[in-house]
Amino acid sequence: MKILVIEDEQESADFIAKILGDAGHGVEIANDGDTGLRAARDGAFDILIVDRMLPYKDGLTLVQEYRDGGGNVPVLFLTNLGDVDQRVEGLKAGGDDYLSKPPAPQELLARIEVLGRRQPGDVPITTLKAGDLEMDLLSRRVRRGEQKIDLQPREFRLLEYLMRNSGQVVTRTMLLEKVWDYHFDPQTNVIDVHVSRLRAKIDKDFEEPLLHTVRGAGYRLQG
Amino acid sequence: MKLALPPFTRTATFRLAVLYALLFTIFSAGLLIYLYFATVQYTRSVADQRVNAELDSIQKAFRDGGLPRVNQSLIERASIPDRYFFYQLTTARGTKLSGDLSGMPGDGVGWVQFPIDAQRPDGSLLTIEAEGRIVRLGDDALLMVAFDAQQRNEVTSRITQAVWVAFGVGIVLALGGGVLVSRWVNRRAEELASTAEAVIGGDLHRRAQLRGANDEFDRLAERMNAMLERLERLVKASRHTGDSIAHDLRSPLSKVRNRLEGALADDDISPDKARNTLETTLEEVDRVLATFNAILRLSSAGNASRARMVRTDVGELMEEIAEFFEPAADAVGLTFRVEKAKTAIVLADRAQLSQALSNLVDNAIKYTPTGGYIAMHMAVDKDTNKVDLVVIDSGPGIPEHARDRVVERFVRMDSARTQPGSGLGLALVDIVADVHRGELLLMDGRGAPDRPGLKAVLRLPLA
Repeated sequence: MKILVIEDEQESADFIAKILGDAGHGVEIANDGDTGLRAARDGAFDILIVDRMLPYKDGLTLVQEYRDGGGNVPVLFLTNLGDVDQRVEGLKAGGDDYLSKPPAPQELLARIEVLGRRQPGDVPITTLKAGDLEMDLLSRRVRRGEQKIDLQPREFRLLEYLMRNSGQVVTRTMLLEKVWDYHFDPQTNVIDVHVSRLRAKIDKDFEEPLLHTVRGAGYRLQG
Repeated sequence: MKLALPPFTRTATFRLAVLYALLFTIFSAGLLIYLYFATVQYTRSVADQRVNAELDSIQKAFRDGGLPRVNQSLIERASIPDRYFFYQLTTARGTKLSGDLSGMPGDGVGWVQFPIDAQRPDGSLLTIEAEGRIVRLGDDALLMVAFDAQQRNEVTSRITQAVWVAFGVGIVLALGGGVLVSRWVNRRAEELASTAEAVIGGDLHRRAQLRGANDEFDRLAERMNAMLERLERLVKASRHTGDSIAHDLRSPLSKVRNRLEGALADDDISPDKARNTLETTLEEVDRVLATFNAILRLSSAGNASRARMVRTDVGELMEEIAEFFEPAADAVGLTFRVEKAKTAIVLADRAQLSQALSNLVDNAIKYTPTGGYIAMHMAVDKDTNKVDLVVIDSGPGIPEHARDRVVERFVRMDSARTQPGSGLGLALVDIVADVHRGELLLMDGRGAPDRPGLKAVLRLPLA
């Protein structure tokens, strides 16, 4: 993917560029808000990574102006550590996701992958598929092969998120934010327990496991 | 030239006193003027009426029988002992016909005032003020009826005097009282001000003196003291936080430093060992970052404004948290019970409240040994209009003496040091409760006295 990183701190920008570059993405860096906005409008990027605090034009304004000008590339905000308000503001201004600085490499890559695959203006889908696992979003029924699988509402949402991003790594934080809408770190391994319960339901009686643990990163549903 | 006035004259009380003195002056002047005219005019008109009545009766005698009859009547009247009136009858030209005086005091008709000599009871003479009215009797005689005005004039002048004295004394009292009151008020205000100044100067222990009069100054002093108490606690807490941050972060950072230095000094370090060093170092740094994260969350929670809060069903919120944690509790062998909650609406920041509640459950899971239980329920108190969100566990509990301290930042019980954690969890719950105008209560759970468990209550006001 081609990614534009708008970040004024050179070291931080280089760090992000290295992570993305190592993962095979093409990266361009802009060091202030004005050049960033111009680059975002001119170049054909798949994702914008925007720092909140920028010289000349702060990240919020930049994204607002970019969206007002018709730009529809997904935006990932980089926010300061722990500032909960910045998340809400960023999403309101037209951001698609946020990550606090300094980003953990696996977390950054996982979010980039998920953002990059989200096609703006997608036709709404009613069925999700991963291997022989099928989810009907309208009737809220799940089956694997011939077997019907009963899920609790929250398990359904967890599986739905994993299936929508099947083939990609999703981190625990992503699950916490997107499935439960919680924005704190539980001290206990709550997410792991939820995932293993789900795994027991969809993988236990089958030879081929679908839900994989990715060490040091999170989980991946692979059909 | 500007007059240097004493300080109490610049007080609000003194200005009020002056204003009141002024109002008092205007009011009493009005009252006294009324009093003066009411009494003086009244005595005057009473005297006038008597003179007129006397004149009427003599004029009647004149109409009935002419001058001889008048003369006769005057002689009869003169014989009355201690009489009130003087009489004088003259011809139109002024020649005396009869009467008490040698001549007519004044020419023409109308009211006259004149001095006359009178005899004291002991026979000595004195001059007194008299007042009378002269009328014409027919064409050729003048008649005067007069009376001793001395007494009346004395009353009048005494009243006048009393009025002036009362006026003067009133003003002096009003101003003097004003000065006294404003000096007293000024002194008490100065006492409070000097306390404030001492605190500004850095003496946070200084408290305002109470006089025990339970007046408004005592109440002000009481509140000021309460405010100082809270400020002192906050200052201490933030000092403590600063110290703790320095202390808590120095040791992991120096560990990181030592490890890196050791790796650097090792000239023939194997790639595996170098990698291992970097990994453990990274973990350590991540922990430091997580602590910073928690500190920043804590301070942003404290700054949260009520404007962002929305009506939130805390019963539903509690059930969500319970549903979220139940599998985790189950996984470590704890029974997790949650009572179905009714609807209870609280003005809340949903994200913060979720986090606070999750911290309580997190703690319960962390500190309750396998085989124990965690129970959550909600209780609405209609009388106080409050709702309790309760988390009870069967862990070791927190001894009573430590309960105040565990909500402070970075304070961890010794028994908790083996568990991961920053010592900021309960501090955050406490702050969130505060921001929501509620409170965090910690008490014994349902267990035996030696192992009571913990009951944590997040008490919030209902919307």
